[in-house]
Amino acid sequence: MSATDHPGDALVVRRLLSASRDRVFAAWLDPASLAQWMRPGEMSSATVDGDPRVGGKFRIVMRHVGGAVEHWGEYLAIEPPARLSFTWISVHTDLLPSIVTVELVEKGTSTELTLTHRRLPAAQVEAHRKGWTDILGMLDVRLMAGDGVEPLSN
Amino acid sequence: MQDMERYRGSPLDQVYGAIADPTRRAILRVLADGDVKIGTLADRFPISFNGVSKHVKVLERAGLVARKIRGREHWLRLKPRPLRQAARWLEHYGAFWETRLDALEQFLVEQQRPPKVGRSRE
Repeated sequence: MSATDHPGDALVVRRLLSASRDRVFAAWLDPASLAQWMRPGEMSSATVDGDPRVGGKFRIVMRHVGGAVEHWGEYLAIEPPARLSFTWISVHTDLLPSIVTVELVEKGTSTELTLTHRRLPAAQVEAHRKGWTDILGMLDVRLMAGDGVEPLSN
Repeated sequence: MQDMERYRGSPLDQVYGAIADPTRRAILRVLADGDVKIGTLADRFPISFNGVSKHVKVLERAGLVARKIRGREHWLRLKPRPLRQAARWLEHYGAFWETRLDALEQFLVEQQRPPKVGRSRE
């Protein structure tokens, strides 16, 4: 870990989602699904490219009226249906790799999602907390709306 | 908005219009689990109370949601009946989909049969 990392600053956001763990996990790996809900705050659209395998890279461009914010990273762990981890880089991480971990626990027919974001610049923690809170809210809407990846039955 | 009010289209137009939005589909999903106060409903969504309220009004106009006012509380209830007509229209394509899947299965079964001529499978 280099001196320019931000080891101390982590944030945790939790949300109960109205969908099975398989559906929630699939939504995080599918670029078409991610584009529907990776839109915090005033972001009006998102474009997502991804190669969901360990070592694979992704790129998310979130757009708003005034411009666009680009995010990118690399998948560190893909353990369906319980755990996913990736690096997360943008101008808001000072272009340094922060680390996002998504953990899913079954709660009856729902799923509790815990998102932990580590190594963020201290000044950016609150903005990211708000961003992830919005994103998880959007994800819940899309899951309840029937969008996302459905396993093809029979 | 006035013009929108004047011409509403058929009941089926209204139902499909109402469910052509992810937030409104999600509201119906919440109400499928039971009646909910509008404030409680709004808390679940990452948009403003007014935004949720507008979506609820569209659902009410389509006959999919009924509002009951008890004192100062507005309770919302799912009215699934109009969805039945919409579902019936889609069912036709359900049958179409099933026959296509059967055809696909048939194709895959035939592919798996050992080749008649002495050619190895790739």
